[in-house]
Amino acid sequence: MEGNILVVDDDAIVVKSCDSVLAPEGFTITGTTDSDAAIELIRGNDYDIVITDLVMPGIDGFELIRQINAIKPSTGIVVITGFASQQNIKDILQLGIIDYLSKPFTPHILLETITKAMHLMKKIKAIATIPDTEDEAKKRTDALNNIISEHKATPGSLLRVLESAQDLMGYLPPSVQRFIANGLRIPVSEVYSVVSFYPYFTMKIRGRHHIRVCVGNACHAKKSGQILTRLKRNLKFDEDNITADGKFSYETVRCLGACGFAPIVEIDHDTHGAIDPDKALDILKDYH
Amino acid sequence: MPAIKVRSMNRIIKKLTIEDLKAIRDNFKDPRSIGTKASILVCGGSACMARGSEKIQETLSGELQKKGIDNEVSFYETGCNGFCNQSPVMNIYPDMTLYQAFKPEDVPAIVDEHFTKGQPAEKFVYKDLKDKKSIPNRQDIPFFSLQTRRVLNKIGLIQPDHIEAYIYHGGYLGMARAVTGMKPQEIVKEIKESGLRGRGGGGFPTGLKFEICARMADDTKYVICNAGPISRSIVETDPHSIIEGMIIAGRAVGAAKGFIYVREPDNLFILRRLHTAIERARGCGFLGEDILNSGFDFMIDVSFGAGTFICGEETALIHSMEGKRGFPTPKPPYPAQSGLWGRPTIVDNAETFANIPLIMVNTPEWFRSVGTQTSPGTKIFTLSGAVNLNGLIEIPMGTTFKTIVYEIGGGLKKKSKLKAIHIGGPTGGVIPESLIDTPTTYEDITATGCIVGSGNLIVMDENTCMVSEALNAMEFGHGESCGKCVPCRIGTKVMYDKLLDITEGRGKMEDLDMLAELAYEVRRTSLCGLGQTSPIMVLTALKYFREEFETHIKDGLCQAGRCRNLSTFIIETKTCTGCGSCARKCPQGAISGEKKNPHLIDQGMCIKCRSCFETCPFNSIRIEPGVAEEVDSW
Repeated sequence: MEGNILVVDDDAIVVKSCDSVLAPEGFTITGTTDSDAAIELIRGNDYDIVITDLVMPGIDGFELIRQINAIKPSTGIVVITGFASQQNIKDILQLGIIDYLSKPFTPHILLETITKAMHLMKKIKAIATIPDTEDEAKKRTDALNNIISEHKATPGSLLRVLESAQDLMGYLPPSVQRFIANGLRIPVSEVYSVVSFYPYFTMKIRGRHHIRVCVGNACHAKKSGQILTRLKRNLKFDEDNITADGKFSYETVRCLGACGFAPIVEIDHDTHGAIDPDKALDILKDYH
Repeated sequence: MPAIKVRSMNRIIKKLTIEDLKAIRDNFKDPRSIGTKASILVCGGSACMARGSEKIQETLSGELQKKGIDNEVSFYETGCNGFCNQSPVMNIYPDMTLYQAFKPEDVPAIVDEHFTKGQPAEKFVYKDLKDKKSIPNRQDIPFFSLQTRRVLNKIGLIQPDHIEAYIYHGGYLGMARAVTGMKPQEIVKEIKESGLRGRGGGGFPTGLKFEICARMADDTKYVICNAGPISRSIVETDPHSIIEGMIIAGRAVGAAKGFIYVREPDNLFILRRLHTAIERARGCGFLGEDILNSGFDFMIDVSFGAGTFICGEETALIHSMEGKRGFPTPKPPYPAQSGLWGRPTIVDNAETFANIPLIMVNTPEWFRSVGTQTSPGTKIFTLSGAVNLNGLIEIPMGTTFKTIVYEIGGGLKKKSKLKAIHIGGPTGGVIPESLIDTPTTYEDITATGCIVGSGNLIVMDENTCMVSEALNAMEFGHGESCGKCVPCRIGTKVMYDKLLDITEGRGKMEDLDMLAELAYEVRRTSLCGLGQTSPIMVLTALKYFREEFETHIKDGLCQAGRCRNLSTFIIETKTCTGCGSCARKCPQGAISGEKKNPHLIDQGMCIKCRSCFETCPFNSIRIEPGVAEEVDSW
């Protein structure tokens, strides 16, 4: 995978090992042990992702992230930390980072996290979302914390927390899942098992308008397959089922329960029924 | 007349007594007569909504004002009428003239004709399918008159949010009788006597379930109503009937807490409707502490899952409510013994709960007066597919499929011939045309190899390819399998692959026996209802339509023209009149020919979308076996 990455850590070994793990995968790695020099590098170059340690002599990680957000807000940040306490995670999440790595980590984890982060950055850049300002990220983390503390005492509230979190964030990236697991004091694996089980939860970014095409029997008998083909052919979704401009994303659903009115397509929260496959594209006109 | 207005969840506005309830029923004027001269009941079901119900109401408001009759004619929105095929629908009270299939722009004409001229607007009333005679009155339309609407008796007539309207139609009286005048054992006895069976598909006797739960010594028990998409119609149109049924169930088994489980958390419409209904019921003192001064407490919450089919299975549903993966667990112990948080729990679907107040307010004998000995009462079906009238129907159990399709559904659409009826929702099976006299009882349907399931009937005509339907069912079974047990997780995938091979022309004859064996084993050895039912489509399709599988494999032909690799569309030169309608419809421009001369399909360009086949008014297009794609010989 391609991408420009800057590694900042006062420990030269970390910088070197990042380079040796990531460079063979196609990433372009620049490394520095001096955080002041890092700021100059960021000013002069465009990095997709900056990997940074938190505790460093001179400018520390928190300050560095703040400065990056000020200079190049579209840069993705992955934090390396030796102290993955809940408070610590909360603080760094508030700064609007993409993900974090707790030391010690294996090359495998590093590669996976960075690949995911790079995927995400490319997606974010493609759909040109206005990058999170620090305030917004803080607001969202606070809101997430409120959700967690509200439901913490209720047994079996994980689904509700995840639903609210998805409402807030739009999707459930690994960092949010870990944050929730920490907050509810349950294993991350349990959170992941629930997120990956229910189709309602998504770990993928969705488009501005989310299209749901019903492929239940009644809709299938009334040619919902053709609607889907037509949408796919005209909108050109990528492998994550999202269009290049981020306007539309789609998923197929099994049954929306209005079979008398098949075939059904749901866009955002509007239900469109009895759709003529030939005119399937017309219903998209009202969505900008 | 006690006035009821509810604002907050925690306020009891006026605690009603049984006398109050009776007073409302007897003295309250029909909620439909809010207009002194007439009321217009505009259907707000999802089908009508999509065809402009809101716009219709807007136009109506303006039009009534313009005519100066807005003080004597009023209108309100009702729940779904179930007449979705003819949407939008509106009824005019008191004479119950039904207008259907009109556009919002037609409203002024209807208002003018009906109110100014005082006669039904001929153009927009229902016309009989056979003799084309106008039938203006709702109760005379065969679609309605042939049904036995008990659970659905109020739909399309009342505002779903309106609790007085529900009480006016006899609502909450069954609950009042059960809570104040009966011992829990007596309630269980009456439900047992009625013979009501779970309407969620399994058909487990409800009374027996209640008895098992009531006998458990636990002091905390729960009642859960599964309000998945299947029973959405009742939740949308008559939420109070579910609430009332749950209160009675709570009283019968000794539970103080109920949950209504909605599968889709983002369905705000349903959530709002349920919350309003619960609030209103609480405001009247039907929920909360000391209901009707009987000392019985019961409260209902709305709980939601995150959208998987498996969560309709009761143990999986309970796990999802506990915030876990919706995995089913083996039974016994049944939820009635050990369910939510390990407590005895009643799980039933909305239709079952909606039947319970009717048994309480009438008698078990009344309930048994329709239906058969072993399957008494009525059942709601959604009718769709190739019939003339799609929609929501309620019929006595035991009515034959023939009656449903040809009388209530008005027969098949033009140019179609009945091939099979698909019953039971996504995991159901097919009943061939030859068995159309099968009565709709649990036993008879099971004997055909199908299940009652969700009560979804899809009428299939000759254009349906059973192999691709089976493929679709397996795609569903495989996609929705939770992955816990092997037969369902892997078996469905293998069946999917085999069926895909057949539809794409790589099938072998020995695959058929293997498919049958595999489907049988998956059905027999899966842990829960999903794995036990998802192979039904494969089993029944193979049982009744084996020749079709064989022509796919042996002749490389899909007679319905659904499988692309196995069909070639050819224009019959003898009968083609050269009208050109197929050429206009072809999305690829693959059809050419001079006017009034036989046309020709360019097979290289044809994408086999079937649109010419469906368009041709002279049936001049025939389907031939597919041509194997050329393989580069390098």
